[in-house]
Amino acid sequence: MKNKQFAVIGLGTFGYSVAVELASKGMQVLAIDNDEEIIDKISGSVTQAFVLDATDEKAVKDAGVADCDTVIIAIGGNIETSILSTLIVKDLGVNNVIVKCTSKWHLKVVAKLGASRVIYPEFEMAQKLVDGIINPNILEQIEISKGYNLVEIVAPQKYWGKPLKDTGIRSEYDINVIAIKRRQPFINDEGQNDIKDEMIVNPSADREINQNDILIVIGHQKSIEKMKNI
Amino acid sequence: MAKTKEVPSQEYETMEMGKFYFLNNNFAEAVAQFESVLKINPANAEAYYNIGLIKESANKIEEAKAMYLQALSIKKDYKIASEKLNNLMGIEKDE
Repeated sequence: MKNKQFAVIGLGTFGYSVAVELASKGMQVLAIDNDEEIIDKISGSVTQAFVLDATDEKAVKDAGVADCDTVIIAIGGNIETSILSTLIVKDLGVNNVIVKCTSKWHLKVVAKLGASRVIYPEFEMAQKLVDGIINPNILEQIEISKGYNLVEIVAPQKYWGKPLKDTGIRSEYDINVIAIKRRQPFINDEGQNDIKDEMIVNPSADREINQNDILIVIGHQKSIEKMKNI
Repeated sequence: MAKTKEVPSQEYETMEMGKFYFLNNNFAEAVAQFESVLKINPANAEAYYNIGLIKESANKIEEAKAMYLQALSIKKDYKIASEKLNNLMGIEKDE
């Protein structure tokens, strides 16, 4: 299968990391920024790197952006440049355009311009941080559909020592436990104590929950809220 | 008369007991043993590291970090404690 082609426009910390990560996974990556120093730095890590003005339609076209499957616009400092660049890339006929936004207004404008996906990392990280502070027992949370989440949650004390079927997680809360992450002590190759995660995928109803287990569950957000408070 | 060198010290024996309980998933007793080690020798970095592991296993992340930091303050080149601390702080290995 032919590797997908990506363009990353704007190589600040976020864009730079995206470009390098994509390239490290074997993708064809075209990196664009107006800073020569950054282009020099990234040129060894990506397929092609160009110094150019992202609002110059001809220069963007000549760089080959139109041939890319996905374009990621990660211009953070200047909203106007980001919006113009989005417009140019859409006009070039690129279907999948992902834009990093720095404000809700920025997000609304690029969404109206036809961006396929808008991301707001600062806001998303802030939300995640607050969730982590308020709910320390919830280690990870991914929304998989509106209202339904996949959650990594510390097993409530009430369930310790009980088999899954006796916990009522499914019958009372309508939540499915799809895996149990269990910390196992062991001695590593250097003879030191260590811990490793053992994944028990699709646990049976008779599987007992231990102290320190982490449950990977799927269910409605409201049900998970109820369960975490027990 | 001075004790012979072959007799294991109380610190060593208590540490071994702690490791035994740790490897048998008896974390409460293991912590008690490692804390006893620290009463005998407050500069035992390994005891702090082991308590850190147990706190991390129990998802008590802040307490685990404090233990790894204590271990590192005693033994600056404690590689595994440094790795565990970096991991909890979200710092990549090669950064």
